[in-house]
Amino acid sequence: MEHAYLGVDVGSISTKGVIIDKENNILASQYIWTQGDPIGAVKELVGLLEAQFDRERYKVVATGTTGSARKLVGTILGATMVKNEITAHAVGTTTFYPDVRTILEIGGQDSKIILVENGVAVDYAMNTLCAAGTGAFLSSQAKRLGIEVEEIGDYALRSTHPTQIAARCTVFAESDLVHKIQMGHPREDIIAGVCNAVASNYLNNVGKGKKIVSPVVFQGGVSKNKGVVAAFERALGCKVIVDPNGHLMGALGVAILAKKGSKRQEFDFAVENMEFHTREASCGKCSNHCEIICVYRGDELIDAWGNRCERGERTR
Amino acid sequence: MAEAKRRSISFPRYAEYGCALKYIMEQALDVKYVMPPALTKHTMELGTKYSPDYVCTPFKTVLGSMIEALEAGADTLIMTHGLCRLGYYGELLEQILRDLGYQFDFINLSDYDMDKKKEYIKIIRRINPKVNPARCLAQFMEGLRMVEYLDEITGEYYKGCGFDPTGTEYKRAYQDFLTAMYTAHCRSDVETGYRAAKGRLQSIPLDKPAQPLRVGVVGEFYTAMDAFSNLELEQKLADMRVEVHRWMTMTNQFLHYGNGQKNLRIKIQDLCQYDMGPTATANIWYARQCAERGFDGLIHIKSAGCTPEIDVMPVLQNISADYKIPVLYLTYDVQTSDVGLQTRLEAFYDMIAMRKKVF
Repeated sequence: MEHAYLGVDVGSISTKGVIIDKENNILASQYIWTQGDPIGAVKELVGLLEAQFDRERYKVVATGTTGSARKLVGTILGATMVKNEITAHAVGTTTFYPDVRTILEIGGQDSKIILVENGVAVDYAMNTLCAAGTGAFLSSQAKRLGIEVEEIGDYALRSTHPTQIAARCTVFAESDLVHKIQMGHPREDIIAGVCNAVASNYLNNVGKGKKIVSPVVFQGGVSKNKGVVAAFERALGCKVIVDPNGHLMGALGVAILAKKGSKRQEFDFAVENMEFHTREASCGKCSNHCEIICVYRGDELIDAWGNRCERGERTR
Repeated sequence: MAEAKRRSISFPRYAEYGCALKYIMEQALDVKYVMPPALTKHTMELGTKYSPDYVCTPFKTVLGSMIEALEAGADTLIMTHGLCRLGYYGELLEQILRDLGYQFDFINLSDYDMDKKKEYIKIIRRINPKVNPARCLAQFMEGLRMVEYLDEITGEYYKGCGFDPTGTEYKRAYQDFLTAMYTAHCRSDVETGYRAAKGRLQSIPLDKPAQPLRVGVVGEFYTAMDAFSNLELEQKLADMRVEVHRWMTMTNQFLHYGNGQKNLRIKIQDLCQYDMGPTATANIWYARQCAERGFDGLIHIKSAGCTPEIDVMPVLQNISADYKIPVLYLTYDVQTSDVGLQTRLEAFYDMIAMRKKVF
């Protein structure tokens, strides 16, 4: 039996999973929508990965989780490595592109920039307080314009005169966009304008004060949008590399981290059939009223978190 | 007459400085000090509810804490002066609290010229007219001494806490020290508490590597110092086995450097030529100090909309580029989530840890 490693990245919009072997070759990969139900998405993901995976030849010996639901999913999957998405992306990208200097990442709710030197992340920034210019903005505008989010890129590339759209803030961008639609701008130009707005918003907010050096790798769900890639290439004046597996990079990174980690625990594909649910409880031991999340497998409490002091700790 | 009654005075909760203020009020000025309850989510809810939306977060925290102090029985509130918008906050807080229907006496230090010693006597007379300002000087100085001790022990705690092999001894020593300070009644209480804590912290053998990760914390006066407001940033870093250094304390800002930050300003004049606000000079100076001393990273803390600290950021970006030191910029708002902070800190830790291995 050869060893394999599972990496799962559960984001706000999409859930990604990969299984890799010792040489970081992808044995199975899947990309599905989270749809507000991380537990359900992960169970579905595990089932889909199992179907692609040769269980006679390989066994999964370590599991890593990342993304905003990493803790919850890590508990459910019995992960050996729970890592934040910034580190996961940096590790994944530098493994496949050792020369990379700048990693741009735009996901569903967040965006980050990671600066790399000599194969190691040296500086990073992540959007705070505001989700302007992320995938959520693109998908809501696609819905407004009556097209699928996947088609945005093709529409944008057909445009010759992209419309100027106020890029400072999503709310302003949206009102400006409605105005431009009503003024009679063609749809292609508006979509290209939205893509430019995302790129310039990113560079003015997250990328502010950061020196962007080529080679640049662009990833996250939005990297699949050719219009935004073209907008970045125009704004930065250099080539922007988009990996065919760019949307899986977080999952790949955490799988690699799980492989490098010392913990080993064979992964049980049976989780797809187990029943998990969560319950929110308010701790009443002081006036802070910490919201404590309890995770149950069937009726059994397997983990709880959210307390700020030891008074709220789970007692067995 | 209201003046005849012994005042119950209070000041909003601010880091752990309440103990020193209590000491000064009770020992030096002979009034009752009402300790506001520890800051909690409830405080924030109260503060947010009655504050203008776009005011900075410390205002909301302070307002919440003042309401809790009034509910706890305080009849007099003190509000500090300040060099930024803080200078106007006293008036606004008083108005909001009066509109809510509370009855209290409000001592707003912005009404006094705090550069003149004579004004201090006026304030003392107002708090308690029966006190002889010359007689209470000794106790007043003991209170200030307590501030120095507090900052010294707190600084030492966050430098060592992450490397305590027992995991609890260090924390317990620090908690016991705080208890001693909060309950001190005389000079010997303060001195004994301090010596005991110092001895205990030093007696715990630390499991510290030869070159631990060192992170410097700079930022806005309130949020950088108050553990509740910065979501226990320093404790979180320490728990990741990081040595946390922070220059910005009451001691350094007021007692040791006070009006004498001119020399700091001269030291940073190649980075910025003007003084940009209450803490800008010190923060820029200390950030560069950390960079020169080979720290692994800097964390810059501010509350949302803090203009002086926004002005500091471009200078920090220059320092970051010149000295190749990563800077994490954190903005705190009422809605800032613990999880979001944890993600950013973990990523920051991973980054500086991996970096240290390579460079």
